[in-house]
This record gives sequence, structure tokens and C-alpha cells, in this order.
Amino acid sequence: MIALCCTDIVAGYEPGLPIVRGASISVRQAEIFAILGPNGSGKSTLVKAVAGLVPILSGKVMLGDEDITAVPAHRMIGRGLAFVPQTENIFANLTVADNIDLAASIMKVDKRRRLPEIYDLFPDLARQKSLVAGRLSGGQRQMLACARALVTSPRVLMLDEPSAGLSPRLVGVVFDNLRQVRATGVTIVLVEQNVKAALALADRATVLVEGKDRITGPSGELASDAEIAALYFGHGGAGKAA
Amino acid sequence: MLQLIADGLIVGSVISLGAIGVTMTYSILRFANFAHGELLTWGAYLALTFLGFFVALGGAGPMQPIGPFSFGWPLLAALAAAALMTALLALLVDWLLFERLRAHGTAIVLVIASFGAALAMRNLLQFIYGTLPDYYSREIQIAIRLVPRDVMGGMRITPDQLFVLALTAVTVVLLHLFLTYTTLGKAMRATAHNPALARLTGIDVRAVIRAAWIIGAVLAAIAGVFSGLTVQIRPGLGFDLLLPLFAAAILGGIGSVYGAVAGGLIVGLAESLSVPLFGAEYRAATAFLVLIAILLVRPTGLFGERS
Amino acid sequence: MADLIPILSYVTFFLCFAVIFAVMALGLNLQWGFTGLFNVGVAGFVAVGAYTSAILTAPPYPDSLGGFGLPVAAGWVGAMIMSGLVALVVGVAALRLRHDYLAITTFGVAVTLQLVALNARWLTGGPFGLQFIPKPFQDLLGTGLAWNMAYLAMSLAVLGLVYVALERLVKSPFGRVLRAIREDETAAEALGKRAFSFRLQSFVIGCMVMGLGGALYAHFVGYIAPEDFLPILTFQIWTMLIVGGSGNNRGAIAGALAVWLLWSLSGTVLRQIIPQSEQARGAALQIVLIGVILAAMLIWRPRGLVGEVIGTPAGKDEKGNTGKKA
Repeated sequence: MIALCCTDIVAGYEPGLPIVRGASISVRQAEIFAILGPNGSGKSTLVKAVAGLVPILSGKVMLGDEDITAVPAHRMIGRGLAFVPQTENIFANLTVADNIDLAASIMKVDKRRRLPEIYDLFPDLARQKSLVAGRLSGGQRQMLACARALVTSPRVLMLDEPSAGLSPRLVGVVFDNLRQVRATGVTIVLVEQNVKAALALADRATVLVEGKDRITGPSGELASDAEIAALYFGHGGAGKAA
Repeated sequence: MLQLIADGLIVGSVISLGAIGVTMTYSILRFANFAHGELLTWGAYLALTFLGFFVALGGAGPMQPIGPFSFGWPLLAALAAAALMTALLALLVDWLLFERLRAHGTAIVLVIASFGAALAMRNLLQFIYGTLPDYYSREIQIAIRLVPRDVMGGMRITPDQLFVLALTAVTVVLLHLFLTYTTLGKAMRATAHNPALARLTGIDVRAVIRAAWIIGAVLAAIAGVFSGLTVQIRPGLGFDLLLPLFAAAILGGIGSVYGAVAGGLIVGLAESLSVPLFGAEYRAATAFLVLIAILLVRPTGLFGERS
Repeated sequence: MADLIPILSYVTFFLCFAVIFAVMALGLNLQWGFTGLFNVGVAGFVAVGAYTSAILTAPPYPDSLGGFGLPVAAGWVGAMIMSGLVALVVGVAALRLRHDYLAITTFGVAVTLQLVALNARWLTGGPFGLQFIPKPFQDLLGTGLAWNMAYLAMSLAVLGLVYVALERLVKSPFGRVLRAIREDETAAEALGKRAFSFRLQSFVIGCMVMGLGGALYAHFVGYIAPEDFLPILTFQIWTMLIVGGSGNNRGAIAGALAVWLLWSLSGTVLRQIIPQSEQARGAALQIVLIGVILAAMLIWRPRGLVGEVIGTPAGKDEKGNTGKKA
């Protein structure tokens, strides 16, 4: 069963200057899928385009059996697709509780049922409900961003570099959280620079090069793939992959 | 001295209400709206028109004042009607002009457009109403002496002025409750902070923008009527207040409603207290001095949420 | 032949104003068109130039400062220096901040200068303004058509000089840096303090040109008062630049001519159709018309009639949308 299927996506900020140039990915129900690739390969733009933040110039996005290609960003969450951007992914001027409540109120979620579930998943946040979110630590911010996205019970959760700027220990904590989220039946798509950690977490992955998907396969296979090694550690690869 | 403070607070209330609108459009639509002053003027004149209509509807001669005030129920009804119409006017200007420019322009193009809109709106108003000053009521009010003359020069205040102070306080408290506790209020604060994330959270940013215009315009209409009530109604009413409005919004920190209120009161007090120093003719330049001072010393303002 | 003289007089008179506005529009074009600086205080800087030149060149006034009786050329130079100094102070205070703070600050400058013009009688003559501003070569040419044509020629020469100077400036490496700052905030940030210095230079030079425009105006009309420098003047100059096409000096000149023509024509038409008693309302309608033109240009033709010649790819604004510079 396919949860999210993108076919030949061409996307970019300006017509004539596409950053994503014909990428296709297909993500199965309740799997963790990683999008990898060197800097500037269009990974981030691809997920933003799927989320409705960057214009899709051509191609098609299917969420389950619904076509969501032209759905505006603010309707995505209602269709069951949530997105956590890489930076500025919480409302720093609102309290932790308001960050989570806001999405729930707008989507008319049954808060009495859903909020305890969320706080069970992120017990750290439960202890700091009335804190202004801007004062959270880096790892807690990332958790709040996930919590905010999950409160509406999306079918698919997309994250743009959830490990960016976190210490290895915190990356472990955040990724553990993602495993728990997946255990509740949510499909997870994440963009990652941190190749090793991402391949360890994900079931399958794709490598994006110059805006196109180059290789797709199970994480185990990709981890030992020579071409990936060449992409990352050889010519012009991103040195960040440690 | 005390009298100057009282006068300053009354002018400051008008500035505060206007500055809240400026700071809201600034933080949510992300541009300095030079046409905001004209919403005050239109509010004041629309109330004048509705007042005439409601008084005529009542039939029995001029407006009967309520208690010690110079005005009666028709003015309050006219205020409500004018606030509604001013909100519609703001939405109309947004639809005609700003929305189209938001789609493909940069923020600064919106500023130019708002400058054009300001002059067009003011002159359209002059075309309709003429240039002569007007009043809601010609009733003579007796000022109440709150502090005797021998204590710091004493203080007298008219019932209308007290009404302005009280209603400003009520308005600000209501707005505070709205922004803190309602979903729309929170959505507005969220959008001001991060519009892209707001969209990802399911907030319809266009609805938030409409709400910002409506609230800004309603407060502008109230401020305009207050200014008309305590000074006079004239076509330059709002344009002359524009600099104090901006000074108050920046002083308070763009995006901060409470900052705008504090900024408005400070600018009002500064204007009032500057009169014995520089003379009444330079009163209008005080806001400019406050503005320059805050830009040099602390450009994020007193209560700025973002840098 | 005799019938031609009034027409010729009117045309000369009309062109003189158009040329003077064109000078002001060129100053604004350097700031907005080439550097992206938003100056809402054009009228203020024009006023500084006009009053400075008047005070420097006029015969002694009975109860105000000035009347130094200097040559007109000295007045023009003084006008540029004074406008430049005011711009320097304003620029230092506001140019480090977000771009729309400059808009608000310059607006405040114009309001404050307007108050000074109105109230500082010892300096500006107060609401009655300054009179008897010398018209150059008047003793040779008299006050009629000959003088008007001579002044038109002089103004055209000034406009030509300003145009050539600005063209060389914007095509120099300095001009390229200005455009880079305008197009790309990141590039500007990379320049750091130097970006501020470039912005400041552009702002000061632009205001000096506006001051020169003010001086040209003062010596053409021979009489200035605070009401000559209301915000509507700022608005007119802006409309000229937007209509003509900002980022293009020829566009600025063409815009000045086009908008002034439209302004004069609409004024004439409105005076014809609106009864004498309602003239003030007619004038208001004229401003509404110009406001509508500005808005329409911004929406439908943001590059103006002529548009920018030196091609740069359309920049991106902060939101990442394709930004068309107006």
C-alpha cells in the first residue's frame, strides 16, 4: 500500500529555474523513508513542494488515492499530510501548550482524547506546557515541532533535516521518537544530511542528485552501495556526511 | 504639569488605538501602511454621516446628551456603524490594491502603494465632505476639576475625555483577551511570527489578514471618532496622526499590541509635555524626535518580539 | 504670429516645470531605482534646497535671516550642500535598519521640515514664505517669454549635466555595487559596513540632486512658501518615477514629462467642468486620479513605460517569490 507517491516532480521558485527536475518517490504505508543527496540536490525543495510551500511546475503528488498536487499548504494538514521544516519550525512567541493546541483547534481535533496521547509521546513537553516555546532547548524544539505536526493525526509526516544542529545524543532521542511515531502507524518521510544515522533509521531511502532520484532501495543495500560512497565521499560530495 | 499629563494621556489613547492597527498590519502583512491614518479620518467622517442619519431617524430635534457627556446614543450607534464601514473600506482597499501587489511584489512596493492609497483616500474624502472642520456635538461641556489648582497646577478633565480614556482601556483589555485566548487570536500571533509555519499548521493566512484589517480598521474608526470628539473632525485628522502612530508602533516594538499601547501613551505624553518646551507649533515634531531616538538607541522597540 | 506667443509662453512654462520635476525624479531614481532606498521625504529635501538657495541669493529681507545677495549659481551649490547635509544626518540614523524604517523616518523629516518652514519666521518667512528670489539674467531679459525660454535652456542644461553625471555614476563599479545591494540582501550583508556606506552615499547624492531641483524651482517661480512642499509633491515625484520606469534615468525624465502633462491636463479639464465654487473639491479629485494611476501602474506595469535598461535577472524577495522591482 502506497502512502505517498510523487511522479516526475518539477518544482522551483521561479518558472524556468527548476530546482527539482523530475523526481519520483513512492513511500509505503507506515515505513520510514529517507531522502538523501548532496548539498543543493533539491531534497529540501522536493519536500517543500510536496507540502505546498514551493510551486510545483509539473508532475503529480498522490496522498493515498487523493491527488494533492494543487492543494494549498494550509489545507495539507486537513488532507493528512504534515510537514516539519528544518528551521523556525515552532512558534517561539507562543507557549508550548498553545503551539500544540493551535493546530488542534484549527483542525477541530478532539483535544481531550488527542492531547494526552501527544504528551505521552513527548513527556518532556508535558512538563513545560506553559513555557514560551522560544526558551526550549534545541532537542525539545524539534520534539515540539513534531508534536505540533502530529496532533492532527496525519497519515504522513514529512521532516526536513530533523537532526540538523543537534548533538549526536539528541539525534538519538529524536530518532527514537520518530520510531515510536511510526509504531502508531504514521508514515514518515525525512530529508537528511546525516546519511549514516538516516540509513540506520529508515526502512528505505532514495538519493537525489541534481533534482532527480538517482537510486532508491532498502537502507541496508544503500548503506553498502559504492555509488553512494562516491557521491558523498568522492567528487564534489557533501563533506557533512559523517 | 498634571494637566499636561492628562492631556497627553487623552491624545495618547487615540494614538494607542491607531498604533495597534499599524503594528498589526505591519507584523501580519509585513509592510508599513501609510494609509492607516486615513482609516482614522474615514472612521471619523463616516460616524459624522451616520450620526446625522440616526439623529434624523430619531426625529425629535438635536441629539439628547447622555448624562454629563456632550453626545447621546446616536453617536454610539454611529460609532458602531462607522467601525463596520471602515472595516469594509479597509478590506476593499486590500482587495483592490494590496492583495494584487502581495501576489507578485516586494514589501516595499506595498509601502509605495499605501502612500498612494493614503493621498487618494484623503482627497476622495475631501471631495465628498469638503475641507471645513466639523463637530459631533456643539454642546458645551463643563470640565470636572479632579485635582485642585494648588497641587502641581491642578487638573481638569471633561466627561468626554474620561469616556475616551475608559473606552480605550476597555478596548485594549478586550483585544488582549482575544489575542490570548481565542483560536483566531493565537493564529494571528502565530502568523505574525512565522507565516510559512502558520500555513503548515493549517492556518488560512488570508483569513488572518482579513482579521488584521478588520481589527485595525475598527480600532482606527474608534480612534478617529475619539479624536473628532476631543479635538475636531477635519480631513487632515488621520494624516497628521500618522507620524505619532508609526513612532508609537516602533517604540513599542513592531508586532507587540501592548507595546503599541505603551508607545502611544508615551508619544502622547511627550507631545503634551513638549509644548511648554518648544511651543505648541512644534508639537507635531515631537513624535519625530521620539522616533529618531528609538531608532538610534533601540530599534527593536521596548517590547519587540523579533529583531 | 501674435497668437502664437501665449501658446509658446504656456509651453515654455509647462516645460520648465517638467524639467525641474525631472531633476527631482532623477535624484529619487538614484535612491530607489538603483539602490532600493525608499525615500518618502522628497518634498522635505526639495524644500531645504529651495529655501537655502533663496536665503543665499535674495536681497536682505526685513525681518528674517538671509538676503546674502550671492550669485544664483552659489545658491544652487549651497542648496545641494544643505540638502546633502540633512540627508547625511537622516541616513546615518535610518539606513542601518530595515528598509521601511527609512520610509517612516524620511516621512518624519518631511513633516518636521514642513513645520519649520511654517513656523521659523526668522529663517523661512513663516506661512508667507520668501519673496523676491532673484531670477538669473532678469535685468537682461525682462520677465516675459524671453526670460522663460532662457531659464528653460538653463534648466535643460542642468538636467543634462545631472543626467550625464548620474549615468556615469550608475555605470561605474560604484553603480554596480548599488544594484547588487538592491537586488540581493545577502550580498548587501556580506558587504557589511561597506553596504551601509554605499547606501549612505547614494542617499546623500540623491538628496543633493533633489535640493538642486528645489533651487531651480525657487528661482523660476521667484517666490516660495511652505505649501509648495506638501507631501503631494513627494507623491508626484514618486508617480513620475514609477510611471516612467525606475532604474532608468531616461524613464525618470519621460515619467516627469508624462505625469506633469497628465496633471496639467486633468487640472484644466476639471476646472472646466467643475463650477467655480467647488474648485477645491476638483483639486482633490485630481490627486485621487494620480493616486489611481500610481496604483494601476504598480499592479499592471511595475516596470513603468520605459523600464530598466541594464538587465539584471528578476531578484527574489524574502519570501522567495519572484520579485518584480517596481
